[in-house]
Amino acid sequence: MLAFLRFEGCRIFAEKKNLAFFLLIALSAGYFTWSGVNEYRRSLAEREFFVNFEREKTRQIATYAQYGTFGFRILYETAPLNLFFVNSSILQDLESNIDNYEAIRIDSSFKGDKLFLMRGYFRDFAGILFVFGSLLMLYLGHLALGSPPYLRFLAGRMSLVRLFFLTTAARLFWLDLFFLVLVLGLFAGVQAGGIAFSGQERTVFFFYLLFLVLLLNFIYLLGQLTTMLVRFRKTFFLWFFVVWFAIIFLLPELSRISVFRKSQSLEPAEKVNLEKFRNLMAMEKEFREFLKANPSTPLDQVRRMQKKFAVQFINSSYLVNTGLELRYLRKVGNVIADHERRSVFFPTTYYLFLSGEASGKGYHGYLDFMDYIMKLRNRFMQFYLKRRYLEPDSAVESFVKGSENIFRSRSRLPRSYVVGVLVTALYGAALLLLAFWSLQRQVRRS
Amino acid sequence: MIALRDLSLAQGEGRLDPLSLEIAAGEIYFLLNRPGLDRLFAVLGGLGRPDAGEVVFSPGPTGTSPAVFIDRVGDVADFETEARIGDWLDFLCASCGYDRACVYKTLLVCGFHERHLKKKARELAPDIFKQAYLAVGLAADSPNIVINDFIRGAEKGFELKFNKLLLQKKALGRAILYLGNDIFYASEIADRVGFIKNGRLLFEAESADLRDMDIKDLYLKFLN
Repeated sequence: MLAFLRFEGCRIFAEKKNLAFFLLIALSAGYFTWSGVNEYRRSLAEREFFVNFEREKTRQIATYAQYGTFGFRILYETAPLNLFFVNSSILQDLESNIDNYEAIRIDSSFKGDKLFLMRGYFRDFAGILFVFGSLLMLYLGHLALGSPPYLRFLAGRMSLVRLFFLTTAARLFWLDLFFLVLVLGLFAGVQAGGIAFSGQERTVFFFYLLFLVLLLNFIYLLGQLTTMLVRFRKTFFLWFFVVWFAIIFLLPELSRISVFRKSQSLEPAEKVNLEKFRNLMAMEKEFREFLKANPSTPLDQVRRMQKKFAVQFINSSYLVNTGLELRYLRKVGNVIADHERRSVFFPTTYYLFLSGEASGKGYHGYLDFMDYIMKLRNRFMQFYLKRRYLEPDSAVESFVKGSENIFRSRSRLPRSYVVGVLVTALYGAALLLLAFWSLQRQVRRS
Repeated sequence: MIALRDLSLAQGEGRLDPLSLEIAAGEIYFLLNRPGLDRLFAVLGGLGRPDAGEVVFSPGPTGTSPAVFIDRVGDVADFETEARIGDWLDFLCASCGYDRACVYKTLLVCGFHERHLKKKARELAPDIFKQAYLAVGLAADSPNIVINDFIRGAEKGFELKFNKLLLQKKALGRAILYLGNDIFYASEIADRVGFIKNGRLLFEAESADLRDMDIKDLYLKFLN
């Protein structure tokens, strides 16, 4: 094994074009990490602006009626680990406004400098490793076994099983080592640069790294198998491109289209909002009709009626509307769960899903955010109605305590992580065996 | 000793009717066939199976392989490993258990310069690479050697060095079976020559007898 390790090390690292490729990957990954760190720091600075702005806004509000109308905003705070997945996340910079309006709004701002935050596929640390790493692995998988005459020459000197499996193991060892050193080096560098990660984030990152290495090994084995299947012909490069395009771009895009189609079965969010609005207006109408029928009602009685309606609203319409929102969220959750299940079936689609979740701005981050908004909104409505109708003359006090209006996103591993790893490992094992079977046929046939 | 007993390869490219041959220790046997004998070479090397018959190699000392196989080097690019030749040789010595001294001795006989060890296969002239290839091919101390058209396209200088090595091996008592289609080269190097045409061994001759015959006539008759 040592002889194979040494020789494959020489083969990989003594070649200038390989070194140029390694350097390109290392520099690009380093650059995008640095860019991610800057974006993370900017988001922290913006968080301070946000908190101060919200505090100031609440101070300017004179009555609880105004407070109910303007409400307050919640910021979706980026998790530190997001700096590695800036463009791999599903959600962008988000915020929501909590007020007495029925619809829950989640917005992304494109104002000012945010207009220039061009988001898109693969322009981050995780994307660079995915695109360039896969290219490199596919190419080095292609080169692994040389040519049929070379294999025939070696097959006369050692067993084909030994040659194939030890060559594969040795090459994967060096390539995995390169990616591990690069990624762990950058992770350590980011920490040394002052970004602190929690223990849970570190765990998520190491499991992400494990899957990345598995994925790259899978792609290497795919390159090896493709070479065997095209019998080492020069047309490999055409197939190389086709295979690479299919696994990196086409399959993930098909997966995205599939989830989009699935999401079409959800009723539009506007429909849910309209239903909630109707529930609210039905109560308003009832109140107006009462005033119309009793135009000379004294003010204190009107206030008592308002209180009564407010209590009635909390106990009926509001609960109905919350139920509608929860039911809608459950349906969204089902689409997400279905998407997760489908992603597991292919390593590259699962890598993208995993990156999204590890970034803290994935689909489950959205569900958590919605859950947080609804809980906070529930408390705010009770606070608002109580203060407005039971203590109308009291000075306006902020509902937000501490940093309640900051939602801290959490990097996480999908629940299907173990299945994803196993499926990828199974694919790898199948490719390895298929390549060996094909190799035996090649050598015998040539 | 190399013995082919009723060895036959069914229809198709490289077809062979039942063939029986025995090459004694210290003998060079040249088997000639116009389209080449790649399929037979693969069968002898264990990379293919005969349809009938068997191949027997006399065993060597314990731990050595019964035969070494030296194939034609069609294109040096096929042997490009992206590693330096020195690293390639070290790898083969370590993984196949070859004696380094033996490999480097062959290189010295061939006149392989040390600076070539630092180069990659693609940077070497074909004949220079063939020297390294040959050094590996002959490194195993095996009693039998099977060669497939190795000298094709080589320059005379390399051919002479190769002949020198082959005759050294012959003197050491190795049985050598050479497959090819170069009757002129066969007449120079072989002790016995066999002609195959349409898959059948039609004619066998001792080297001494061959010199008295009209080689061009033999070529036109069996190899044209």
